[in-house]
Amino acid sequence: MSKELIRLRDLTMEFDGERILDGINLYINDHEFLTLLGPSGCGKTTTLRIIGGFLTPTSGTVTFDGQTINDVPPYKRQINTVFQRYALFPHLDVYDNIAFGLRVAKVPKDEVDSRVREMLEIVSLKGYENRRVDSLSGGQQQRVAIARALVNRPKVLLLDEPLGALDLRLRKDMQNELKRIQQAMGITFIYVTHDQEEALSMSDTVVVMDKGRIQQIGRPEDIYNEPKNAFVADFIGESNILDGVMLEDYRVRFFGRVFECVDKGFAPNEPVDVVIRPEDIDIVPKDQGHLVGTVTGVTFKGLNYDIIVEFKGFKWLIQTTDYHGIGTTIGIRLNPEDIHIMHKSEYSGMFGDYSSYSAEYDELTEDADGEEE
Amino acid sequence: MKKNKTGFLSIPYLIWMTAFTLIPLGVVAYYALTDPATGVFSLRNVRELSLYMPVLWRSIGYSLVSALLCLVLGYPAAYYIAHCGRTTQKFLYMLVMLPMCMSFLLRTLAWVGLLQDTGIINNILAAIGLPRLRMIRTPGAVVLGMVYNYLPYMILPLYATIVKIDGRLIEAAEDLGCNGVQVFARVVLPLSVPGILSGVTMVFVPAVSTFYISQKLGGTDTVLIGDVIERQFKQGSNPNLGAALSLLLMILVFVCTGIMNHFGGSSEEGSVMV
Amino acid sequence: MRRANRIMTVIIFIFLYIPMVVLIVASFNTGKDVTEFSGFTLKQYVRLFQDRSLLKLLANSLIISVLASFIATVFGTVAALGIHNLNPKMRKVAMTLTDIPMTNPDIVTGVSLSLLFVFVGTKMLGQRNSLTFWTLLIAHITFNLPYVILNVMPKLKQMDASLVDAAMDLGCTRVQAFFKVTVHEIMPGVVSGAIMAFTMSLDDFVISYFVTGPSFITLPVEIYSYTKKPIQPKIYAMFTLLFLIIFVLMTAMNLMQLVSDRKKAVSHIGH
Repeated sequence: MSKELIRLRDLTMEFDGERILDGINLYINDHEFLTLLGPSGCGKTTTLRIIGGFLTPTSGTVTFDGQTINDVPPYKRQINTVFQRYALFPHLDVYDNIAFGLRVAKVPKDEVDSRVREMLEIVSLKGYENRRVDSLSGGQQQRVAIARALVNRPKVLLLDEPLGALDLRLRKDMQNELKRIQQAMGITFIYVTHDQEEALSMSDTVVVMDKGRIQQIGRPEDIYNEPKNAFVADFIGESNILDGVMLEDYRVRFFGRVFECVDKGFAPNEPVDVVIRPEDIDIVPKDQGHLVGTVTGVTFKGLNYDIIVEFKGFKWLIQTTDYHGIGTTIGIRLNPEDIHIMHKSEYSGMFGDYSSYSAEYDELTEDADGEEE
Repeated sequence: MKKNKTGFLSIPYLIWMTAFTLIPLGVVAYYALTDPATGVFSLRNVRELSLYMPVLWRSIGYSLVSALLCLVLGYPAAYYIAHCGRTTQKFLYMLVMLPMCMSFLLRTLAWVGLLQDTGIINNILAAIGLPRLRMIRTPGAVVLGMVYNYLPYMILPLYATIVKIDGRLIEAAEDLGCNGVQVFARVVLPLSVPGILSGVTMVFVPAVSTFYISQKLGGTDTVLIGDVIERQFKQGSNPNLGAALSLLLMILVFVCTGIMNHFGGSSEEGSVMV
Repeated sequence: MRRANRIMTVIIFIFLYIPMVVLIVASFNTGKDVTEFSGFTLKQYVRLFQDRSLLKLLANSLIISVLASFIATVFGTVAALGIHNLNPKMRKVAMTLTDIPMTNPDIVTGVSLSLLFVFVGTKMLGQRNSLTFWTLLIAHITFNLPYVILNVMPKLKQMDASLVDAAMDLGCTRVQAFFKVTVHEIMPGVVSGAIMAFTMSLDDFVISYFVTGPSFITLPVEIYSYTKKPIQPKIYAMFTLLFLIIFVLMTAMNLMQLVSDRKKAVSHIGH
């Protein structure tokens, strides 16, 4: 791809003796759309604020274009930020908000005007120049915040949960909009979110974080298809995670059966975590199944049904378009490419069991995720 | 996330406040504990305080009565103002504030004109054929002066607290079966407690230390602790004794506000910040 | 219930305003006594503007309150900014120091400052008259500061901290960010702090009485000395004028706020 622009080396951050970041190593290429993804408190916002210059790391270095910039204040960085709740200046109108950075930089008046108008066009806010920012809708405020940052022609744009305050539909529209703007401007976006769907659909690279550490870096497809540990598997999409033993290359045993798989490179008889995505499971008549279980719960999801199926005391989540009532006995088949094998980690055993699964539970945790720090 | 970068801006302020509030209190203590004649350490002034205990008790008594009267009078008004329309609310709030901006001395003097034996009230009484009343130079007149002067200090914090009470709470209480009186007793009143405490403190403190009201409206038997202190300093008697009395008054006030804060949580809550 | 409250409120406003009405009526009285209205006249107003010594006292009061509230506003705003960024423990210390003059009875504040000034002046500097304009100014600044701090601090707390970050992100230095963003956000608090400080200063008599000397007398201190001599009716005229000025100013401020609130509300509905 293109050349490296930002590199974080061994970053750690401590507040009042609490370790927020623990050895972050990461490089970001020019023109890349990179997303820091993780639950609240994982350190993603802290990482972003260090890149923006609002925080100085306890140890480690931040380099920009090869220069160490640990102690460079934010106003001297070629980086601009779209803040969590936009942080628009309430005493200025839309035009003056966008012109703010250019005026501070003493850009000539004509140029300020042409650049502000150009930005208004890009974010589709033409005609809103003299509106008070608090009279705008959330989506419009969002656009102003983006325009205000981009008008300064930064090399990097930092976005801190920019869509968090918007409703679902608007969020989808803005996702496309952001991607379009990023491609049109040809600059680097570093994006922070706790929404995995957002991360997967927009990014070139996703960085999954938890507990101040990077759990996995990769393209969205790789993160989804080849999760590195139980945390990533659970956080990105839904996963059934089971204890297994890797007998040899391409052969794994779980639930007392040996399955063929596509993974290799494990030690003989290494205990592993086995991930099976709910949408990969094929339901078959019970006499044809690799495993046979009983349906204990059904939730209609629109596109599909989420059904909970009990196999020998372990509950799986399976997504299917056909209805299977509670109490039905079904068989399932697993193809080798549907079985993902992961090394054991500190997260093993914490996720992937759907015994207590309910749709409401899902929504509750999403709400609680709203804010970081 | 803390950022200590601009904390240093508070240093001049901390120095100023130490120099002009803390150190002066130290000087008061120094004067209180030295002999006026010799200038050496002595407990003479402290011992003499016992002579003034009746005056102190009187001051406390009058101020407590005034604070309670202010509460009883001020609460309905504060409640009424808090439930007016926004524009009316602002206007009435201003009308409560306004007297606080006008000369306290002149307004008190006006009461002399109203209350004295040949004053306006007595003239009116006489004109309609009623007997004249003796009002000036009575404890009642002193309490009236206190209530009059400090009533706004009660209404404003009460208003600030009542206006913040969420209307849905009252609806919820009604929904749960409370009648008007019960809503007030079980919801509105408990939620007004911070305002009540802050109002009582704000009336009590200036009232207990006042030294003008009783000079103008009271008689020789209504002398208050503030008058005694003023006399010790300004009529050249004994600044050291005055210092000891000030110290006593300060301790009294700090104990009272301490008790109030203990019951009401933070003192900032309902204070009259506009 | 509401009716009873309404009646109570009316009674309270009558109670609060009757003495002022008495003074205002007295300013138009031909006689000297407030208790008897002998006839209408404006001569007290004429006399007021001819009385140079009285105008001088008023000027003194204005000088001290304008100076003290101005200094306290600038000093206090800067201090509030500092206190806001202190760690919680130091912030508590600062707020306790701020609370002392607010909690202390005025008479104790007056006495303590007076003793300090006399102590430093006579015992340490050997002055004969240690109570002057400067001691009065120091005292006024000291009791004005907490009003500014307590009005500005909540605005700083309410302010979205990322606004300052945003300004710095867009190229402002810390100082520029303060003047371009923070100032606008805390302005309502600064203004109300300044107004409160000014009115407290203008009307203060207890503290001034203890810390000023014969070289600089303010109007309230002078009025207090009328305890011994009868009050001059032109004082009523001055009271009336001040009442009018304050009433007009307060109403104007209220109206301005109302209009700006309306505007906000309208533009909210607008989109």
